[in-house]
Amino acid sequence: MSNRIIQLQQLIKNANHLHINSEWLAYAGVIEYYPEELVITVKAGTKISAIQAKLAKHNQVLPFFIKATDISIGAAYAKGAQDLSDCVLGVKIIDGTGEYLNFGGQVIKNVAGYDVARLLVGSKGKLAVITQISFKVMPKAYIGKIKKPYSSKSDNPILREIEQKLKQVFDPRSIFK
Amino acid sequence: MEVIQQLLTQLPKSIVLTGKENTRPFECDGLSVYRQNPLAVVLPENIAQIKQVLKICKDNNTSVVTRGAGTGLAGGAMPLENSVVLGLSKLNQVKSIDAENRLAVIEPGVRNIAISEAVAQYGLYYAPDPSSQIACTIGGNVAENSGGVHCLKYGLTVHNVEAIKMLTIDGDELVLSRHDDGLGLLALMNGSEGLLGIIIEITVKLTPTPAFARVVMAGFDSIRDCANAVADIIKAGIIPAGLEMMDSFAIEAAEGFAKVGYPLDAKALLLCELDGTQMQVQAELDSVLKVLSGASTLKVSESEEERLNFWKGRKSAFPAVGRLSPDYYCMDGTIPRRHLADMLEKINELSKKYQLRVANVFHAGDGNLHPLILYDANIGGELEKVEKFGTEILKLSVDMGGTITGEHGVGVEKLNAMCHQFNAKELAIFHKIKAVFDPKSLLNPGKAVPELHRCAELGAMHVHHGKLPHPELERF
Ligand SMILES: Cc1cc2nc3c(=O)[nH]c(=O)nc-3n(C[C@H](O)[C@H](O)[C@H](O)COP(=O)(O)OP(=O)(O)OC[C@H]3O[C@@H](n4cnc5c(N)ncnc54)[C@H](O)[C@@H]3O)c2cc1C
Repeated sequence: MSNRIIQLQQLIKNANHLHINSEWLAYAGVIEYYPEELVITVKAGTKISAIQAKLAKHNQVLPFFIKATDISIGAAYAKGAQDLSDCVLGVKIIDGTGEYLNFGGQVIKNVAGYDVARLLVGSKGKLAVITQISFKVMPKAYIGKIKKPYSSKSDNPILREIEQKLKQVFDPRSIFK
Repeated sequence: MEVIQQLLTQLPKSIVLTGKENTRPFECDGLSVYRQNPLAVVLPENIAQIKQVLKICKDNNTSVVTRGAGTGLAGGAMPLENSVVLGLSKLNQVKSIDAENRLAVIEPGVRNIAISEAVAQYGLYYAPDPSSQIACTIGGNVAENSGGVHCLKYGLTVHNVEAIKMLTIDGDELVLSRHDDGLGLLALMNGSEGLLGIIIEITVKLTPTPAFARVVMAGFDSIRDCANAVADIIKAGIIPAGLEMMDSFAIEAAEGFAKVGYPLDAKALLLCELDGTQMQVQAELDSVLKVLSGASTLKVSESEEERLNFWKGRKSAFPAVGRLSPDYYCMDGTIPRRHLADMLEKINELSKKYQLRVANVFHAGDGNLHPLILYDANIGGELEKVEKFGTEILKLSVDMGGTITGEHGVGVEKLNAMCHQFNAKELAIFHKIKAVFDPKSLLNPGKAVPELHRCAELGAMHVHHGKLPHPELERF
């Protein structure tokens, strides 16, 4: 485990309130990239432009709508979008109690356990600190113009209650604001 | 029993089956080594009846096992002791088709192939195609996040579902859509194995039927060359519609069964399907043939009939192997493609160690392996041996950076292997997620996620976070 992860775990264990962003995270860089596997694994603080540059060398792309390239991939994940979610294969996170956890992996087909890696897409930094993400990538030639995804807020109170309870699962001390 | 009485009095008698003789057809799913009789089976004809069943079960603290067609291969739909089976096969209507937006709204009991049949007139089809597609239901597909031969290019179930309607154990209706702002609840329901809610309506995405498709069949003198060819095709920037691999034993079995002209002297066979417009297919074909120039035999389908023929062997591989042995056990691990050849060698070693034959059939394009271990359940101790063998393969899959199940799910079958893939903290999160939806644990309890004490007893916990077996393997 890297030193930064251990530091982050300590910070989270000792914190009462935290607002997560990529500067605070200070954890960036491509961890693994196998073009023939169509998979890239990155630290969440990595700028999207840096990932794109790496992929471009092998004529591959992140096959989802990208609005801005100077933000971190973790920020895009936290904001959430369905087409981004479609490409997520796995995440490593630190939950609100400081535990370092792994869900999903680096393979395209994986149905072991609930799909936490995709559940947390759109969690807005309020459930856990996402430290590492694996994405499925595609050859550029297969990806046409990508439409901007749209989303809307459901007003079903039961759904809101479920989301609130799920926050409790990952952040029982309610430290992520 | 009170719960049976209530079911019989509060629902039409015709939809409630009780007594061993009547419930026997439901005592197992596709994994028939595990069997259990339920208290009753209810086959509701509408949503109101499902709600009634849930209410009765909740009032009586009785567990509910939702069932589609029962083709699952992990015991997911196998009844639990003292449970009620909720069979959704009668909810089998395609409710609406929106050809322009390529969407269809369907009931959970519709069979996978029936969707494609219903929309064929619009030049569309439903892409995920599990080999069981003539029988399995879309509800079961969502609950398992099922895959098929065409996943690499067209995605899994989760990628092809636009929205679902579900019932919670309390009978509340929830609509989850791809376009919801907030947490990924729709993705969470995909692959939830009947533990979080009952899926009662699905809006699926439809795909235009490709104008052309051709299959390249390539035989290789060594498994390693074949595995390398898989990587080389992807490296060349090609995403085949399907990319399947078989070893010599599987080739022999399939050829003996289907007589399709597979090269019997090959150590490994690759089937690579390319689809799209005529121009796209031709361009891809040129590249693929270049990559495969080292193959010992190489054939391209020249007609639609020949293309289907090439597939026929692959698609009948399971029944073909079934002919050679009284029983077989189908594994489902997934590994990063670069480890394919190593994995096959290890499986061969294990096959010798356990003295059990194995036929290997893979979704090579996405690293999903289906080793079929041949055995005879009537020989005492043989099944236990198979399970040990299988567990070793699954551990290897995890150690290589993969997973214990690519598409068949955990069910009751892979509970032990889950202890190897996840540590206690991760499993605890899964249990808490279930409790959010189902606090009294009445929906398919005990499946999919092992209890922590089970893993502790196995001594399997933390293996992959502490000292690792097989240190020579490259890993994530
Ligand atoms: C010969 C054969 C080949 C196969 N090939 C493939 C393959 O290529 N790819 C693949 O992925 N799978 C394959 N399978 C496995 C199986 O067909 C799939 O898992 C399929 O999706 C199960 O559908 P079903 O309707 O039979 O579900 P069931 O077996 O009845 O149920 C499966 C699980 O889903 C739950 N469930 C079912 N319906 C609902 C619902 N409406 N709401 C909530 N939960 C529900 C059940 O509780 C259970 O846990 C194969 C099986 C066989 C026998």
